[in-house]
Amino acid sequence: MNAAQHILDTLRRHRIDTVFGYPGGCIMPLYDALVADQAVGGVEHVLCRHEQACALAADGYARASGKVGVCIATSGPGATNLITGVANAHRDSIPMLVITGQVPSSLIGTDAFQETDVLGMTLGIVKHSYLVTAADEIPGVMEEALSLATSGRPGPVWIDIPKDVLLADVNSFIDSAAATDGESPADPVLITHAIDLLRTARQPLLYSGGGISLANAEGAFRRFASASRLPNVVTLKGIGNTGRGHPDHLGMLGMHGSKATNMAVDSCDLLLVIGARLDDRATGAVNTFAPNARLIHIDADAAELGKLCPADLSIRGDLNAILQALTDQFEEQPLAIEPWRKQCRTWHRTHGFQAAVNEDPHAPISGPEFIRQLSSITPRDAIVACDVGQHQMWVAQYFEFDHPRNHLSSSGLGTMGFGLPAAIGAQFAYPDRPVVNVTGDGSFMMNAQELATIRRHKLPIKLIIMDNQCLGMVRQQQELFYGNRESQINLDDNPDFLALARAFDIPSLQITRSDQVRRGIQTILAYDGPMLLHVAIDRTENVWPIVKPGASNRDMLDATHGQSNKTQLSHKENVA
Amino acid sequence: MKTPSKTTRMHTLACRMSAEAAAIERLCQVTRIRGFRIEQMQVQTSDDGLEISMTLSGERSIDMLRSQLEKLHTVTHLRPAAEQGPLKQTA
Repeated sequence: MNAAQHILDTLRRHRIDTVFGYPGGCIMPLYDALVADQAVGGVEHVLCRHEQACALAADGYARASGKVGVCIATSGPGATNLITGVANAHRDSIPMLVITGQVPSSLIGTDAFQETDVLGMTLGIVKHSYLVTAADEIPGVMEEALSLATSGRPGPVWIDIPKDVLLADVNSFIDSAAATDGESPADPVLITHAIDLLRTARQPLLYSGGGISLANAEGAFRRFASASRLPNVVTLKGIGNTGRGHPDHLGMLGMHGSKATNMAVDSCDLLLVIGARLDDRATGAVNTFAPNARLIHIDADAAELGKLCPADLSIRGDLNAILQALTDQFEEQPLAIEPWRKQCRTWHRTHGFQAAVNEDPHAPISGPEFIRQLSSITPRDAIVACDVGQHQMWVAQYFEFDHPRNHLSSSGLGTMGFGLPAAIGAQFAYPDRPVVNVTGDGSFMMNAQELATIRRHKLPIKLIIMDNQCLGMVRQQQELFYGNRESQINLDDNPDFLALARAFDIPSLQITRSDQVRRGIQTILAYDGPMLLHVAIDRTENVWPIVKPGASNRDMLDATHGQSNKTQLSHKENVA
Repeated sequence: MKTPSKTTRMHTLACRMSAEAAAIERLCQVTRIRGFRIEQMQVQTSDDGLEISMTLSGERSIDMLRSQLEKLHTVTHLRPAAEQGPLKQTA
C-alpha cells in the first residue's frame, strides 16, 4: 500500500465519507488511488470548481455536522487558493483536515513548477501543520492530525506531502488513533467560587458563543440556562444556543446587536462568559464594555482567558463538565433575580429587533422583513448558510434558529463567498434536510462557479440573492462614517442572475415588491431541487442598530436617531 | 530602529520543542504576531528536540504570549529562564 492509498484508508477507518477537492500535478497519486477506492465504496470525492470553495465546503460540512471537514488540493496555486477557506476555519475553530500535494522532495527549494512554501505560508492559519518527508510518517501524522483537529479547541490541520512520498510504500501501520488524555473534571473550588459570585450578584447575565456547539454542549447549556434562570445574550456564532423562544433570551450583542442586549450588558453586575472570546465586534470598545460587571470567563482554550478582558474568575476545561457542575448547584435553588429578569424581558420587548412591516403591497422589499418572513416559513430543521454583509446581519437579527449548527456564518474572518460552498458542504452532511443559502449580490459573485457543483450533484439547495446592486455594508459605513463618500461599491452592472442560474440548469424566480415575498419563499421551498430566488431590495437600506467600529456599544446608532444622534444607553437603569 | 517605550520590558523564556519542520519559524511567528520582538535567541539541538532560549522585548503581558506559545503542538516545555526549579510541563 502506498502513502496515497493509506491516506484514503485512514479516512475510511475514521468514518470520513465525504471530501472536497480539486486535482492537479503533485496530488495526482492521491487521485489515482481514489479510483480504486471508489470502486470499493470508499470516500465520496466532491469536485468543487475552485480550491477556495473546497475549503469552504469542507468548513460548511464540519459546521453543520460536527464532523471533521476534509479538503484536498495540489501544490502551488492549488494550495494558495485553499488559504482563505482554511483561514476562515481557523478563525472560527472549525475541525478540518487539509491535504496538499507538494513538488517531489528532490525539487523542494528549487523554485520548481507549482512549488510554494506551503508550510511557511500557512503557519498563522492552522492549529498545526506537517511537511511529510517519508511515507512511513504518514500513518502517525494522519492519526495525530485528525486528533489535533478535533480535540480541545478544534481547528484546521494541514498536511503537505511531496509527490514522491505519496507514491512510496508505507511499511508502518497504526490501527487506531492514539489515546488522548481526557479532560480533567471541573475544579470544584472554582465552581464554588463561580456559584458564590453568581448568588451575590443582583443583575447577572449569561453571554455565550460558538464554543458551546464546538464542545457539543448545547444540551448542558440549555439545562444550565433553565436551572439558573439567567437572562442571556449570544455572539454571532452563539446564535441558536438557547433554541427558539427561550423566555430569557435577549438576542445577539455587539456591533449589530439589539439595543436590548447591549443595554443588558451595560447594566449587568456580573457577566458569565461561556465559550466566547470577547471579540471586538461583540464588545465594542473594551474599556466601556460591561462597566459595572465582574467577569467570569469559562473556555476550553486557556489562551483566551484574560486575553482581552481581565476576569475575576477564569475556568478552563470541558464545557459539558463545567456546565453540569454549575447546573447541579442551581437545580434545587435557582437564582433569586426576578426583578432583573423582568427588566431584561421588558427591554427585549421594547428594544429587541423589530422589522418594520410595510402595509403597501407595492412597496420595495425590506431586508429585515424578508428575513422575518423567511424565518416564519422555513422548516425548523433548515440549515441557513449566509454570506457576509448586510444580509448576514439581518439573518443574525431576524431569523430564529433552533440550534447553533443550523446557522452557518463566517464570523471571525468575515469571508465573502462563504455561503454558497458552505451550503454545499451542509447539504452533503444532511442530504435530506432543507439547506438555504442567503447571500448578497457581492458575495454571490465570489464563488458563483459553484453552481456547477450544485448541478452536478443535483443538490436541492435554495439560493436567495438579496440584491441591492452594491456592496451594502461598505456603502452603509461610507454613508455613516466617511461623509457619505461612496468609493468603489457600485455593482449596478451585475449579471442577469436569472440567466446565470439558467446556464447551470437551475430554475429561478425574481421578486421586487413586498406582496411577492411570501409566495416567492413558498415557491422555492416547495420546489423539488435547487432553485434561485432573486430579491430586489432597496440600495439605501441600512442595518440597524450599528456601533461605529472601535466605539463603545453604548453609543449605538439606530434608524430613528441617525448619524448625529447617538443613542445613549443608561447603565444605571432602575431595576424595581 | 524603534526606540523602546517606557513600558517596554525584557523577558527571557526557555523553551523545549520537537524538531519538526518549521518549528522555529512557528515559534518566531507567534512571538512576533503577539507583539514581542526577539532581542536574542539561542537554539541547540538535543536528543529530545530543540532547546531554545529567547530574550524578548515588548509592552504586552508576557503571560499572554506564554499561553499562546504553550498552545503550539511542538512546544513541550516553557518557562521563564530566570525561574528556578524544573521545567513546567505544558497542558
